[in-house]
Amino acid sequence: MSEIHEILEETAFLQCKVNGVSFEEEIHPSMSLLDLLREELKLTGTHMGCMTGHCGACTVSVDGRIIKSCITPAASVQRKKVITIEGLAGADDSLHPVQEAFCEASGFQCGYCAPGMVFSTVELLNEHPDPSDAQIRKALTGNLCRCTGYQSIVRSVRQAANQKTASGDHSE
Amino acid sequence: MSLRVQYARPLNVDQTVALLGELSSGAVIIAGGQELMPFINYGRVSPSVLVDISGLKDLQNIETSDDGLSIGALTVHRDIQINPLINEIAPLLAHAALQIGGGRQVHNQGTIGGNIVAMHPLYDIIPALLVLDAEIEITSQQGSRIVSMADLINESNHKMGTHAVLTRVLIGNSPAGQGWGYEKLKITDGCYGSANAAATVCLAEDGQVQSVRLAIGAVTEKILNLSEDLATFLPASPDADLDSRIAGIVESAVEQPLSDQQGHGEYRRAMAGVVARKAFHQALDMARQDMALRERM
Repeated sequence: MSEIHEILEETAFLQCKVNGVSFEEEIHPSMSLLDLLREELKLTGTHMGCMTGHCGACTVSVDGRIIKSCITPAASVQRKKVITIEGLAGADDSLHPVQEAFCEASGFQCGYCAPGMVFSTVELLNEHPDPSDAQIRKALTGNLCRCTGYQSIVRSVRQAANQKTASGDHSE
Repeated sequence: MSLRVQYARPLNVDQTVALLGELSSGAVIIAGGQELMPFINYGRVSPSVLVDISGLKDLQNIETSDDGLSIGALTVHRDIQINPLINEIAPLLAHAALQIGGGRQVHNQGTIGGNIVAMHPLYDIIPALLVLDAEIEITSQQGSRIVSMADLINESNHKMGTHAVLTRVLIGNSPAGQGWGYEKLKITDGCYGSANAAATVCLAEDGQVQSVRLAIGAVTEKILNLSEDLATFLPASPDADLDSRIAGIVESAVEQPLSDQQGHGEYRRAMAGVVARKAFHQALDMARQDMALRERM
């Protein structure tokens, strides 16, 4: 056996931050980020849908970019900052403006797809504070909703954009 | 998840290939996970060793030289879409990366290297790389070798074996005045195509079509590289006759069309000819505009 075998481990050592809280533990090498969040950290706002990357219900943000946690290896967020839907709300539990807009414009029905819809909207509005309808629909393509027919979701994104533009808030 | 999996997080490419060289065929490289994780989640693949290269910084950069572009294999689709160097030198690749399904979340996490080694007929990157005449750098313990994208798709399962890693994608500078096109026939924005076509066109000074490169995805198990088939009747006038020749070559190259959720086989064969003509015309229009601009200068 040569020395190179010494880098093989039975577990993966993971060091990251989840919603600002440090996480440091040995994890199963093929564990998904979704399982880490839901099973280990009990952050069940991140939803398990398809486990194939189609539905988007498991969306979280990693270093400021949204990803699908069910098809992202937990070990790959080494030294990164993960924000889940729980971490998107303010420290005082106040809702994020995008969440508020979804409540007001009835963007949530059963709420299962909510994490993906909300995170996709946050990333869209960071890049395009006043998006066109085409940009809104394009931004939502990674997410499936089986209740709303999408119309109220598109309205919610529009409402969030209007509020953001009105408040002059272009930060995240 | 399988019960027992060994895991390594090598620090660089040298360490990666040294490890791969020592391991048996049960070892699997993992980076973005967008291809592999669905299979792991459903128990379809149970690697005995996972070699996690997601942290290798030297495979995440995009460089240019006099020869063209060199893209690290771990560059994610989103960076390919927005990178100014790629948009300047290979805008077709940036455009193809925008067509990838799964939404922004997949664009932020999936890598160009993973997209290529998947060799998936429905994926958008390989047709674009074929018509850009791209080359792939493959590294093993024996060193690096360069293989053309066209040769790579002819090898069964890309013939990289389990001891090598795809390290870079190389794209030469395009000939002056080259136009490009990409046509994807799809039911919704985020889904797979029923027929995909990538094309580049170069015109001669007299407006004749001098060269066409064409690749067709999503229609057959193996992505079709038809550039050589088209070369036999070029140069030619860009007229209806050329259109029907292109469609004819494409449709006859489709021997066993795929039949799946994206449509049944005969439909896919017919649509292959349609997307080919559309991509060709996009490329032709762009080459003509470029020529008109140069004449005015």
